[in-house]
Amino acid sequence: MSIDLLQPPTHVPPSTALRISQQAPTILRNTSGFRLPYPLSLFVSTESQELWTTQENLFLACLRTGDDKSALHCLEKLTERFGGQNERIMALRGLYHEATAENSKALEEVLEGYVETLEENPTNMPIRKRTAALLKSLGRPAEAIQTLVALLDSSPTDAEAWSEMAELYTSQGQYYQAIYCLEEVLLIMPNAWSVHARLGEILFRSCSNLAGGNGDLLKTLSESMRRFCRSIELCENYLRGYYGLKLSTKKLLDVYPKSSKQSQAVSDPATGDLAPPTLRSIQRLHELATGKLGEMVRRGSVGERGWNDYDEAELIAARELLDRDTQPIER
Amino acid sequence: MAQPVVQTIPRDPALFYWILLPITVVMILTGVLRHYASILLQTAPKKQTLPQMRQTRSLLRGVNLRTNSHAISPSSFATRRNYLVTAFKDGTFLAEPENRGKPRPNPMTDPAAMEGMMGMMKGNVAMMVPQTLIMGWINAFFSGFVIMRLPFPLTPQFKAMLQSGVGTRDLDVRWVSSLSWYFLTLFGLQPVYNFILGSNNAANQMTQQMAQAQVGAGMMGPEQDPDKLFMSEAENLEVVEHYYILDGVEERLLSKLT
Repeated sequence: MSIDLLQPPTHVPPSTALRISQQAPTILRNTSGFRLPYPLSLFVSTESQELWTTQENLFLACLRTGDDKSALHCLEKLTERFGGQNERIMALRGLYHEATAENSKALEEVLEGYVETLEENPTNMPIRKRTAALLKSLGRPAEAIQTLVALLDSSPTDAEAWSEMAELYTSQGQYYQAIYCLEEVLLIMPNAWSVHARLGEILFRSCSNLAGGNGDLLKTLSESMRRFCRSIELCENYLRGYYGLKLSTKKLLDVYPKSSKQSQAVSDPATGDLAPPTLRSIQRLHELATGKLGEMVRRGSVGERGWNDYDEAELIAARELLDRDTQPIER
Repeated sequence: MAQPVVQTIPRDPALFYWILLPITVVMILTGVLRHYASILLQTAPKKQTLPQMRQTRSLLRGVNLRTNSHAISPSSFATRRNYLVTAFKDGTFLAEPENRGKPRPNPMTDPAAMEGMMGMMKGNVAMMVPQTLIMGWINAFFSGFVIMRLPFPLTPQFKAMLQSGVGTRDLDVRWVSSLSWYFLTLFGLQPVYNFILGSNNAANQMTQQMAQAQVGAGMMGPEQDPDKLFMSEAENLEVVEHYYILDGVEERLLSKLT
């Protein structure tokens, strides 16, 4: 339980969040505890870093599962400790108001509150991020992107904001900008395998509306494939990486023969871009990805030890991809 | 050969109750007091303004681009490098573009820097004063007492450390004088403080001093001219030799996994 509570909330699957929030009343009662009378309390400090991390994560889990009462309780405790002017607390309070807002008018009011806070103190990054997130959930991605652009202008080393912007651009179909944002994320965290895979995915998606010649298509596809390779290199058994590798190699195999004549022209030393991979290595990578995916689906669905951490939805998608491949053979 | 004579010194048990215990208790209490005093004296770190934040983080972005350039393709790298080098040289990210080229003001006249120094002074005073007082107190009341015998043998090098205040040459090193007990508690009470005050306490003076050294290093950094920092970073960026991590990644992967 306590281990779940110490993890960053984004990694907590819904079922765990529900379990945590069901225990909220117990945890709240236990942690409130009793304190010694005044002079003696100076000698004993039961406060630890974990306590407040727990409170914050409990707060988020309660909001996710609709237990607003416990959430408010957590928030009050945090406010009591850190003060209402703490930037992080302000963001959490905003989150609470967003979650309990009845209609879009209430949300607009919350948004106005954010704007006012930012006018007072433009360096309040958590509130800025909340503004962008709220605009996104209000269905105004263009404004959300503007907010993020302003944020990133003053704080260009914020990987979280860059990747959020990449997601927003992707949802708008602006793949070029999304790729730029993800590259920025990689400059900050060069070993983030999930970002490598995500970049591969977006490169792959951007192929679909590439109207240019085969050379461009081949280049983007091989770049995408290499991104997936890198993500697997960094994290073995990364299901998303193998999924993308299989998709991209399959498409590359489709495209490859047609453009084999131009392959010399594509490897352009002037811009320094890499030459497309050889047909042989594409085929081998495709085989490798298929084999690995099969293994993962097999072991993951049985829940074998060490293989049971895969997301249910990802396993289903992988199985579906494998089935799509085998169907023509069965007929 | 004769066995080395085991020195025995008959000690009054009152020594234990009236010297060893008081020193220990006083030391613990001062630690706790120092912890709360330093909390009271703490000044909130000064907020950076938005342009200052932009300045430091843009510089960091340049550093990131330089160190992690292998993660992005050569063409993306070239675009970013051109953009950042031009921007750095033009001083686009400077917090105070009008101060460009002027010499830095003397830190002594800068009120912001003075405030930082005041904070350091306060911390130092909070450490030095109780230390001096207790040392004087122990010297005045308890100097020259041998109060305990360590249960393990030690080499003679420890004599200076364990028997300060007792001017006896032949005394076995295992005997500890009251002044030395003070030093031992001064350096060795950290676990006790951790236990009663939580792990991030400010009770021990040694950790305090180390933290202060770090703060000092951090404070000296921004005193440099930001424009010069940007210029040198632009130069560093210009000479980066770029290689692409995705170059040949498929072969690496294949040879690793098959």
